[in-house]
Amino acid sequence: MNLEARLVWGTNDEQGGPNCKPVDPELAATLHRTFKWSHYFEITNQVAAIPEKQSRDLRMSQRCTLRVKNLGGSRVEINCIGQGKEVHKGAYTLTPPSWLVLGGNDTNNTAWFIGLRTGGGRAITKN
Amino acid sequence: MKNDLQLKVQSWLDGELPEREARQVGEWIARDAEASALAAELGSVNQAMLRNEAGVTLSDSREFYWSKIELQIQREAERNRVHAPVPWYARWRKFMGPALGVAALACVMIVAIRQAVPPTYDEISATIDGMEAVTFHDQSSQTTIIWLQDSTQAPMDQKPALPSAQPQDEPESVIDM
Repeated sequence: MNLEARLVWGTNDEQGGPNCKPVDPELAATLHRTFKWSHYFEITNQVAAIPEKQSRDLRMSQRCTLRVKNLGGSRVEINCIGQGKEVHKGAYTLTPPSWLVLGGNDTNNTAWFIGLRTGGGRAITKN
Repeated sequence: MKNDLQLKVQSWLDGELPEREARQVGEWIARDAEASALAAELGSVNQAMLRNEAGVTLSDSREFYWSKIELQIQREAERNRVHAPVPWYARWRKFMGPALGVAALACVMIVAIRQAVPPTYDEISATIDGMEAVTFHDQSSQTTIIWLQDSTQAPMDQKPALPSAQPQDEPESVIDM
C-alpha cells in the first residue's frame, strides 16, 4: 500500500508561514466546503510504502506522529500520537482516490488537518 | 335370369369366387343352357377387350416420368411438415433458449461486479479521555472526516472561545511554525 499523508494548516490569514505550500486542489475543495477557515496551507507531505500487516510511523510535525498499519484489503489502522500520547486510534477503509481527514483545533483560531489517501497500485510522488 | 346370377357368372369367369362356390357355379353353368350361353358370351367379350385394348404411350421417358411423381410426393410431404401443428414445448423452446442465456449472463455479471466491489467495513475508533471524535462523510467528494475536539469545547462549526487568562488552558500547536 502506497500511503500519502499531508499536514494542512487551516487559517483565516492570507499568508502562511515559511514552510507553507498550496494544498492539493481536491483536498482544498473539501476543506473549504466543510470548515470555516478561508485559507489552507500544506505544511508536511509524507509518503510511505506499507506492506500488509506492517506499520510505519510518519512524523508530521515535532508534536504529531502518525502510526499507520496496513491491515490489508484497503483497511488501515491509524494511531494519532500527540506529544507522546495516543490521542486517537481508529480502523478505516481507504478507497483511492478518496481522502481520509483527521483534524482538530489549533492555536489562534486555526486548525490542523492530516489528509490520508492511498495511491492504489501507482506510486505517489512527494512534493 | 336374375341379375345376381348374371353377376355370379361374371365373377366365375373372372376367377373371383371362392373355390367351393366356383365349383357349384361351374356345375350349374354346365347344366343350365341359359347360364352356359351367358358364360360363353361374356367370355368372348373379355377376350375381345383383351385383344383390342389400346396401348398407352407417354411422351416422357420412363425414368423422367417416375422422377416427376417422386418430386411431387416430396413436395406434398414438405407441405404437410410445414403445416404440421407445433407442440407447445417446441414453441416455448424457441424463446426459453435465448432467455436462459441472457439470464445466465446476467447472473455471471452480477457475481463479477459483487466480487469487484470491495466490501465495506464499520469504522472502529477510540479517543483519549477528555477528547471526542466526530466522524462524518462528505458524499460529494467521498471524503471521511474525523474531527478531534476537547469534550468541554464548543462544536467545531462555531468560533472557539477567546483566549483565557490562563495560557496553560490553550493546547499546544500541532503545526511547527
